[in-house]
Amino acid sequence: MDEEILQDFLIEATELVDQLNEQLLDLEQSPKDQEILNAVFRGFHTLKGGAGFLGVTPLVELCHRAENVFDKIRNNVIDYDSVVADVILQAYDAVQEAVSRLNDGERVLPENDSQLLSRLDALTKPDHVEPVIIQAETPVLSLAEGVDPDGDISDDEFEALLNQRDALMGQTEPHTAVTNEVKNVVLSLDDGADPDGDISDEEFEALLNQRDALSGDLPRKESPVELSLAEGVDPDGDITDEEFEALLNQRDNLIVPQTVEAPSVATPSTQSQAAVIESGQPSKAAVKSSEDSTAPAKNKAQQETSVRVDTKRLDEIMNLVGELVLVRNRLLTLRNSEVNKESLSNTIGNLDHVTTDLQAAVMKTRMQPVKKVFGRFPRVVRDLSRKLGKEITLELRGEETDLDKNLVEALADPLVHLVRNSVDHGIEMPADRLAAGKEKRGTVILAAEQEGDHILLSITDDGKGMDADVLRRKAVEKGLMDEVTANQLTDKAAFELILSAGFSTAETISDISGRGVGMDVVKNMITRLNGSIDIHSETGRGTQIQIRVPLTLAILPTLMVSFEEDSYAIPLTSVQEIFDYDESQTNVIDGERMVRLRSKSIPLFFLDHWLLPQGREQAAASPKVVIVCIGNQRVGLVVDQVNGQEEVVIKPLGATLRSVKGYAGATITGNGNIALILDLPGVVQRFQYAF
Amino acid sequence: MNMMSDQSVVVGSSSELMNDDGAYLGPSVRCVLFRLQKEVYGIQVKKIREVLKVGTIRQVPGSDAQVLGVINVRGVIVTVIDARRTLGLAPKPIDQHSRIIIVEIDAEHTLGFLVDFVMEVKDIPEQKFEPMVSVKDTASRYIQGIAHFQDQVIILIDVESLFAASDIEFSDELL
Repeated sequence: MDEEILQDFLIEATELVDQLNEQLLDLEQSPKDQEILNAVFRGFHTLKGGAGFLGVTPLVELCHRAENVFDKIRNNVIDYDSVVADVILQAYDAVQEAVSRLNDGERVLPENDSQLLSRLDALTKPDHVEPVIIQAETPVLSLAEGVDPDGDISDDEFEALLNQRDALMGQTEPHTAVTNEVKNVVLSLDDGADPDGDISDEEFEALLNQRDALSGDLPRKESPVELSLAEGVDPDGDITDEEFEALLNQRDNLIVPQTVEAPSVATPSTQSQAAVIESGQPSKAAVKSSEDSTAPAKNKAQQETSVRVDTKRLDEIMNLVGELVLVRNRLLTLRNSEVNKESLSNTIGNLDHVTTDLQAAVMKTRMQPVKKVFGRFPRVVRDLSRKLGKEITLELRGEETDLDKNLVEALADPLVHLVRNSVDHGIEMPADRLAAGKEKRGTVILAAEQEGDHILLSITDDGKGMDADVLRRKAVEKGLMDEVTANQLTDKAAFELILSAGFSTAETISDISGRGVGMDVVKNMITRLNGSIDIHSETGRGTQIQIRVPLTLAILPTLMVSFEEDSYAIPLTSVQEIFDYDESQTNVIDGERMVRLRSKSIPLFFLDHWLLPQGREQAAASPKVVIVCIGNQRVGLVVDQVNGQEEVVIKPLGATLRSVKGYAGATITGNGNIALILDLPGVVQRFQYAF
Repeated sequence: MNMMSDQSVVVGSSSELMNDDGAYLGPSVRCVLFRLQKEVYGIQVKKIREVLKVGTIRQVPGSDAQVLGVINVRGVIVTVIDARRTLGLAPKPIDQHSRIIIVEIDAEHTLGFLVDFVMEVKDIPEQKFEPMVSVKDTASRYIQGIAHFQDQVIILIDVESLFAASDIEFSDELL
């Protein structure tokens, strides 16, 4: 396999696969849209062509069959209904998997799932002519049996089967009325194939299949068709896509009258047949497809370690680096000469500008549209709602919002979880919705927008919302708090209970969500990204979950605090307020010192117990309390001194210190010292378990 | 075990003679030699990025006893551990001879190793090294081997093992 060509193919294939994902889902919304149908057909066709050239047989088989199906669809032989869509999406998953395997460096792909192939084949099997259907049942079944035994069906076997079937059909009911048109078929095929050029095996196969489809309907006349085809194809030579396309259209025009003959009955029978063949293991297939939809997505996030950068941005960076070198040279000259205060301060001013611009320019290269995460959700929602029997529209907003590459990847899992929750717990069953006077179809909106130096992501559904009282009761039942405390919770605080570990209100545990292990994990992940979660909900109206994360992970606005000589940085997003520590305002409750703040008791963590373990020479002159919010918990950190805000660049602590709880990293402050960045969830754990 | 150490003495002395004759001793390992207390230790040069004078070490409260803190090496935060504590020796205050040897396996695994005194760089024939065999001493897990060479006993530090402990802790935390 030529590696270079393969790489080119993979780039194209990956893009095509991404496009197909969108197109297939769009298609389900408007199954008759010829433009999308053609695009999907072309997509599979191009993939097949490339894969065929490189000899990736499993991929060719899949695409070929998918292409056949779409050919039937766009010629109105069958409809793109949900049964067809399920099979096609499975085929799509297999194609995507094949492409990602190739991307991962695998060169020999496993054989295709034969059941998937036969299901795809089943979709293109003709059974439009009413009389045939009844008797055709036996041949159809025997076909299914023949195909079932392990593994791939070879072309020859397949051919043989088709012939068998044709023979069987031939015995049943001759359709003499259309014989004349068969001759036309023969002629037109002949004409089309003659023009110079190769017909590839696959194309030939496709032609044969189509012919078989035809001859299935017009049994008696099959032999002349076959002969003439063979003759027509013999002369070696290329058939171009367009010619082929034209041929197909011609042929299809011929079929149309027949489909008219057997009008509305045709489509349902196609469906039922597909359903019969599929029913062997429908639940398994459904489960598998929902698993598949997340698994490959994960791989994708991991494998991608490179970023595409616009050359313009690179030029900009290069230009700024050039400036930086000039400034350095200027500074070096200044070092050797008499220090002129004015020129020095000019140069330093220059340095300031250049580095700021350079920082922004480098940041930009790390930015990626949030679309990369959002792209997978239409499929997630589709599969889930099909499985649950709900009707849901997913709306995506603000897909072009840029955010840091690392964030894009880190946000994927929490968002999947939240969207699944909305679909599973939020949106009601269609009947319930109607009963509640809502539209039958639920809506989930996934939106992203920039809000200052933050990104606001929100997941909104118009489902049943949450009942604060139910949550309060659950909290008491689960022993998280006593009844008095629970009743004092505001509605908003009650909603935030769902973020605590082991809190699930789902009546039944489904395999989609509701094990109570989800939301606290989501919360932790968001907190780790220095983000926050807000929940708004209204019973009967719906729920909105808002996630705020900083634009980038590399630079962190912090509040600098210090103990004696050592400074520490607290992520500013968590800081709510700062006030002087006054011991008379505190009380000890259950062994824990609390401060009263606007009629709320907030636990105090004396950070010096941890950060100055050897004790201190004298008490801090005027300690301060920094109130921070960690998830849905507020604590007060008592520090010696507050030094103000500073934007810091996060530097990782090495492997040796990673296991030490409470630090998110380190940074170098303006005066060249090292400050440690506190990881607030870690700090809380440290205090809750150690002190 | 006694057998082994007896043998090693014999081998060591004979090869020193060979060395004086200028005979070829096979492939060698280039090491930076440093002193802790009275012993001479070595670290392979290829695992060392640089040797630094001791500047400000920022303490990291809550870390292991052997961790002295972190230093800023041209914008990269590097953890410094005390070689004496790591190897089970009594700690000694930092003086003007103290040096930090920066060892590096990859970007993530970089460590400063505080030693009393850096002596020299020396090529030591590979055949001189014997594996460290010990039954009780926990510090021995950081020792890759011992060489008797030119009147010196050189203890070779196993750089990878300096990171091993923290990696295990980390993976535990993940579970």
